[in-house]
Amino acid sequence: MTAPETPATTVRSSAGPASGAAGVTYADYQSSKPVDPRVVEAMLPYFGETFGNAASLHGVGDAATAALEDARARVARFIGADPAEILFTSGATEANNLAIIGYGQRNRRKGDHVIITEAEHISILNIAKYLEKNGFRVTRVPIDLYGRVSVKKLRARITDDTILVSVGWASNEIGTIQPIAEIAEVLAGTGIVLHSDAVAAEGLVPIDMSRVPVGLMSLSSNDIYGPRGLGVLYARKGVAVAPVLLGGGQERGIRSGTEDVAAIQGMAAAADIMAADMPAEVARIKGIRDRLVERVLAEIPGSHLNGHPTVRLPNNAHFRFDAVEGEAMVLSLRDAGIAASTGSACSSKTLEPSHTLISTGLLHEEAHGSLEFTFGRFSKDEDVDRIMAALPGVIARLRELSPLYQKTPQTEKGPA
Amino acid sequence: MKSTQYSEKTLEHFRNPQNVGTLEGPNVAVGRVGNPVCGDMMDIYIAVTPDDRIEDIKFQTFGCGSAVATSSMITELVKGMKLDDALKVSRGDVADALDGLPPIKMHCSNLAADALHEAIKNWRAGIKPEDATKTPVDTACHPRPAEVAEVEIANLADYDGMGAYTELKDPAELADQRVVVLDTGDRAAQFAIDLTDHTGRVVLMTTGKDPSVSSAMRSALRLSDVKILAEAQPLELRGEGELERILVHDLNEDEEYELTADAFVVLK
Repeated sequence: MTAPETPATTVRSSAGPASGAAGVTYADYQSSKPVDPRVVEAMLPYFGETFGNAASLHGVGDAATAALEDARARVARFIGADPAEILFTSGATEANNLAIIGYGQRNRRKGDHVIITEAEHISILNIAKYLEKNGFRVTRVPIDLYGRVSVKKLRARITDDTILVSVGWASNEIGTIQPIAEIAEVLAGTGIVLHSDAVAAEGLVPIDMSRVPVGLMSLSSNDIYGPRGLGVLYARKGVAVAPVLLGGGQERGIRSGTEDVAAIQGMAAAADIMAADMPAEVARIKGIRDRLVERVLAEIPGSHLNGHPTVRLPNNAHFRFDAVEGEAMVLSLRDAGIAASTGSACSSKTLEPSHTLISTGLLHEEAHGSLEFTFGRFSKDEDVDRIMAALPGVIARLRELSPLYQKTPQTEKGPA
Repeated sequence: MKSTQYSEKTLEHFRNPQNVGTLEGPNVAVGRVGNPVCGDMMDIYIAVTPDDRIEDIKFQTFGCGSAVATSSMITELVKGMKLDDALKVSRGDVADALDGLPPIKMHCSNLAADALHEAIKNWRAGIKPEDATKTPVDTACHPRPAEVAEVEIANLADYDGMGAYTELKDPAELADQRVVVLDTGDRAAQFAIDLTDHTGRVVLMTTGKDPSVSSAMRSALRLSDVKILAEAQPLELRGEGELERILVHDLNEDEEYELTADAFVVLK
């Protein structure tokens, strides 16, 4: 993923993040989100005033413990969990490591088989590769045309040795929402634990652990506009996980290291704000996204929407354009003051196009032409107008350069 | 280093590429390198003087920032040059002239020198531009049924009814599936077009550079949502219990890859 060159928003004391700071229209919320100024405010007392170590026995430590447990309860409430089921980690990546490697190692005697899907984030894919090198068997379940995992195919891959199934709540890339409740139902009573990396979905779709029997879940603080460097592993009561970092035994011995109370209070504040604002916020963001999708498909020939038409994250618009390469689009949009991202190989470290797009059945040349816009709390209606003021021209210019252009059916140009 | 960490000069050539376009005439040759599958493809046109000099040069490129910038740069470097000297211009020279390229881009997106060399080679071999870039315009005059019929998929029968179909099927039964139809002429192409009413993903796979269909069907395909997959030979069907992937031989790149699919239709 291409990171924004200029931070889109600058937080200045209590002033709200100015969307479009430095003239940038930021439409890459899936890569990174600004920390809400109210969250920054809530964190400040925990740097200099309530700075204690929650493990200390004196009063300064007790104040930190109180702040830590208060935050834990608030984060738990946000996802319908019990506070004892919340473990703070350094981020969703660490939560994923604990959930898959930690769970696998702890429960090895029950079996050595883990199931993931072809739509997973690279964090999960690389953990799965590590497991395979360490004696586990990993099966990847195919996804359909729209990026949805097939529950039927998943069920067919369960064996007596299966101990864990890991399915992302939604694709961080094409935004397709997975049938998590249905999968949980399939696994109910089998003893197989369901893990879900919910980072892409949190704050955008309802996630309630009292309703969906997920055993393990990874969350990130930044994805609900909290500080970076903090995440949560939700571990349902009775689901045992071995630590992957050893040390002083904090977080019930599963995640050692002195808790960052300021960040944790920040995440709690972010969760409170999200819980209060989510319905209205999501409706607003979806309106912006819908308008962009409508306009792109109507106004730009040879454009297609990737992912599911309706069962998708409300902030996600993922397109592909015939005969145009993704990195070239992102670079051109950058010049036009718009921050977006692409699944093209040319922007990746591996030079492979997005595995998710390929798994939905797209050809490499189509995956190379992908462009993703994701909106968020500080997006504005006029962002769509600014994108549409630039995008058709960017695509027309790149098609002028492209020897493939004349071959596309939608373009009624004469022969080359 | 990020893949997009380009020098100012590279960005300048990307923003304002020089010598974009094509050339025509008896003294023109073209070199085409790359493949859209890999994300980069470029055509470099040269117009050559009687004394072996590059009189004019143009390019068209599909690709990332550095693919465009290197194409533009090389046209500036070699314009007016003798062919023998132009042949000595290397990928490294192009990268140097752009004040360097990100390491990851040095090989994948630095094809401009290769395209230029190809153009010079084609000029000397007397290969005309249309032969270097285009396939025969109307294959209806040159049908290739024999070539198509040669496609043999060893385990087709293993997936019979489980994703592999050798007879016309009710298109509605394939709703929302990713359907790959093997090019076996007009009937297969028409079936592919009919399928687009029922699913958003229909691929017509052909071993040729174009489907072996009549010109009327070719027009119909162009106006349809059928995706043409050219120069592709299906080798093997894969999947647990039902078809999930097709192992494909890319005849142009001579590489194998897997294409995700739920149904594969081979009309005999």
